[in-house]
Amino acid sequence: MPDNTNISHYHVLVIGSGGAGIRAALEAVKYGTVCIISKTITGKGGCTVMAEGGINGAVNPADSCCSHFEDTTKGGAYLNDEELVRILTDEAPDRIQELVQWGACFEVTKDCTLAQRPFGGQKFPRTCYAGDHTGHEIVMTLLEQLRASNAEIRDETYAVELIKAGDTVCGAVLLDAAGNLSAVTADAVVLATGGAGQLYPVTTNSTAGTGDGYALAYRAGAELIDMEEVQFHPTGAVKPADSRGRLITEAVRGEGGVLKNTAGERFMKTYDAARMELSTRDVVARAIATEVASGRGTKDGGVYLDVSHLPAETIESRLPLMLSQFLKSGIDIRHEAMEVAPTAHHFMGGVRITPDAESSLPGLFAAGETAGGVHGGNRLGGNALAETQVFGKRAGAAAGKMPANNTAEVKTAAESALKKAAGRISAFFSGTARPAAVKAELQQIMWNNAGIYRNELDLRRAEREIKRLSGLRLHASSKEEIPVAVTVENMLLTASLVVSGALLRRESRGSHTRTDIQVPWTNETSPFGHTWFAREKAGIEIREDRFQ
Amino acid sequence: MSIITVSVSRFSPETDNAPHPESYTIQVPAGCTVLTVLETIRDTIDPSLSFRHCCRSAQCGSCAVRVNGDPALACEKQAADGDVIEPLNLPVIRDLVCDVSPVIKRFGSLTPDACGCRSITDAELDKIKPLRECIECLSCVSACPAVGGYAGPAIFAKEARISFDPRNTEDRIPIAVEKGLFSCTTCRKCVEVCPKHINIPGKAIEKLREKAVAAGFGLPAHATLADLIEKTGHSVSGKDTFLETAEEVYEPAEGTPFKGTVGFFVGCMFNARVQQPASDTVFVLTRNGYRVIIPKTQVCCGSPLIRTGFTKIIPELQKKNIAAFAGIDTVITVCAGCGSTLKNDYTTPFTVYDITEFLIKEGFEIPGTASGTYTYHDPCHLLRGQGIGNEPREILTSFTGSFIDLKAQCCGAGGGVRSGKPGEAEEIGKRRAEMIKNTGADTVVTVCPFCEYHIHQTTGLPVVNIVSLMADGYRRKDKLKKRG
Repeated sequence: MPDNTNISHYHVLVIGSGGAGIRAALEAVKYGTVCIISKTITGKGGCTVMAEGGINGAVNPADSCCSHFEDTTKGGAYLNDEELVRILTDEAPDRIQELVQWGACFEVTKDCTLAQRPFGGQKFPRTCYAGDHTGHEIVMTLLEQLRASNAEIRDETYAVELIKAGDTVCGAVLLDAAGNLSAVTADAVVLATGGAGQLYPVTTNSTAGTGDGYALAYRAGAELIDMEEVQFHPTGAVKPADSRGRLITEAVRGEGGVLKNTAGERFMKTYDAARMELSTRDVVARAIATEVASGRGTKDGGVYLDVSHLPAETIESRLPLMLSQFLKSGIDIRHEAMEVAPTAHHFMGGVRITPDAESSLPGLFAAGETAGGVHGGNRLGGNALAETQVFGKRAGAAAGKMPANNTAEVKTAAESALKKAAGRISAFFSGTARPAAVKAELQQIMWNNAGIYRNELDLRRAEREIKRLSGLRLHASSKEEIPVAVTVENMLLTASLVVSGALLRRESRGSHTRTDIQVPWTNETSPFGHTWFAREKAGIEIREDRFQ
Repeated sequence: MSIITVSVSRFSPETDNAPHPESYTIQVPAGCTVLTVLETIRDTIDPSLSFRHCCRSAQCGSCAVRVNGDPALACEKQAADGDVIEPLNLPVIRDLVCDVSPVIKRFGSLTPDACGCRSITDAELDKIKPLRECIECLSCVSACPAVGGYAGPAIFAKEARISFDPRNTEDRIPIAVEKGLFSCTTCRKCVEVCPKHINIPGKAIEKLREKAVAAGFGLPAHATLADLIEKTGHSVSGKDTFLETAEEVYEPAEGTPFKGTVGFFVGCMFNARVQQPASDTVFVLTRNGYRVIIPKTQVCCGSPLIRTGFTKIIPELQKKNIAAFAGIDTVITVCAGCGSTLKNDYTTPFTVYDITEFLIKEGFEIPGTASGTYTYHDPCHLLRGQGIGNEPREILTSFTGSFIDLKAQCCGAGGGVRSGKPGEAEEIGKRRAEMIKNTGADTVVTVCPFCEYHIHQTTGLPVVNIVSLMADGYRRKDKLKKRG
């Protein structure tokens, strides 16, 4: 049985070590003790480290935060929380400058100002970058500062459940790699566990993107929004089989890459003649899916993305990772086209947050992909990295400012949460369903029924199937399989929220496309606001003034 | 799909005393990665198999393991039937998971200025960018042969990156020295196994040593050597050196058709310490139809200085050597260090060839059979500095009666370690000596005077330069002919 020795207290507990988690920890440590946990080696798990293209911010005097705001809300199908977007666009330049101060090696122009590249859906080239490994650059910069800070870093530690005293979140039950349970109590908890691309079999996400933060927050009773808004990145790798879904950065199109179908046509002229390949991701992804479905795709279900008309040195210096990754599978992108297809990429929805990144539960904060509302129905390329920094800092600061809450009540709550978690875990040993098999089945269900194009019939099927899978008792044959079982439970819960939101949103909006519903309104005049999910209830906000 | 059998190292701290190999036969897509193999074993055979992985696209550095001895990212390495998969050469926690935290704790951090007013130029970025690609997979740390508390190649990639960044405010040089800056043998094994191909010895170690020397941290033995080179033009002094006694031009041997003219870059060791290989080089080249020119004004290539950070007179040495070989198109080296330096640290108007590379390219007369059992030691500066490994083997197998191949591994003599930190060179040398002795060979062949000298000391076995063995073969052949 758990005893007092495996409960420790910190001022702030940060769960997740991608860009948002580390940024939050760096801020929170200014206010008191910080423990940052991650289920991988710290810094390796999030999707930030894999982000390629860049980070948006109006750093050029010729650009403006207003323009960045307009692009973000338009691109987001006007589903964004405008206040959050205002904060994102106002503060991104400062966060970028801060990264530079800490040693980030972003490309610079001849006069030492930051170089910027054009990205989809933006009126100004405002994406700062480091080759095509911008996220890696940011994580390395943040990691250096984290390692030099006083924050305690715990690698390969899973958060099993949040601990609550009354309605206040005050810590988490943790599971280490050896299968041992412990608890950290804290005056505030920051969730920065990324998204849930792993709900789909074809995804750009790392294997850590399993929706843990959504599930932890939801089970604790926090409100989530817009979970149906799942962005499919238009350009994922098609071959070889075990690279399917791997991100082909938007920078490829930013640098001038063109999309062609098997007839050799630049098909984007049919879908968005003005912006062509640099249209927003939702539009390009649907275009590719439509081309493939209409028989104009390759035999492996992709289309062509071509940069071979660009000078070789441009490809070598601006897209070195793409060049080397494709060379490994025998394709020289300087001379031949890449084969690409849409791949699950980003969750725009998530924990509903205030401008200070606080959830609907006191003591619980969320930042990065775990939070919802910033990107509305579709995220612009380069805005995710900006979000991690802007809201990571805000979450860390707000969590840091929380008053001390190391009471006897908190300790009792931790003890009882530990006991409950121990019960949940020991139940896995008598379970029957293999977690790996359940996961594979879930991914297929989501791909077939809750992908780019959706309709009520498919979504109802997904709902039934997820319910059936959730009723199975997961089995762990060894301690090593416990985290897998815990993760699969998180995935099932998150998937059910996605499907529930997709059924509730009876319109096509942003990345959510309902083929069975035609509506008379536009994104701007839609009467629908966020979908929301809390404590076994779900709904969709109605803007009465717009309902006709 | 294809069916393959692989061996995976398993270790459970609860039940095992030591890791043991376990064989698995599985069905996987043809050409799949090692990671897919491991996932297939875990998901279909044994869910307790532990290994790290995350991004699946060679960006996070979680999944490095050893495949057939050498580190690789599991998500990138193509699997093959018969693969042996083991954890990195670090303390094992469970199966393929090892303890990376002691290494990670030694990574340095940039100390930013408070105001954020320092900026970085394009040119300064260019120096840092290649080092910045490190994904901290620790493949290099696993494969590095250095000892003496050497923190590991990746640690120095980071140290160099911080030191060269104008935005950093802390003097990192004393820290780098404390982390073992002078213990690297510059063997380049780290470059070979790095998934991002970062040239850590060239772009981090040597550049940091240059800064360390400027700050007064240079090793005394290296300083003495630098003084000697500055005074005499050579790193080894002696009486009646090869350059003093040899002719300036040697014509092709009588009766052999003329094939061309080559310059011979002798190198300090063969000039003053052991001259026989230098004479043998002339013999082998003239015998194969070459006119050999030995410019007397040639000086030390500068390798010992570049490796140890004493780079002040390098431009002068480069100028002298390029002038000495003016008018010659082809220059031959028989010292791996000289060859690597001339090829990588010079911009020469002539083409430099290692003797083995040249003979294989142009063809050569097969020497008389060498009896006895031979093995070949790859000099690091030949194998990884010049990409030459097959050529010497091809030559050796053409005339040795018995040849036993041996996997490359640093002998410990390079990078100024033998002169600067002899104890560490000996420790690395002993490990290499064991591998060499295990071959059962009675003679070791190599193409580097430093390896030759060092391996002879650590093994007690005869070690010869490949040209000397060839020259002996020719002489034997002639003797037999005379008798016969």
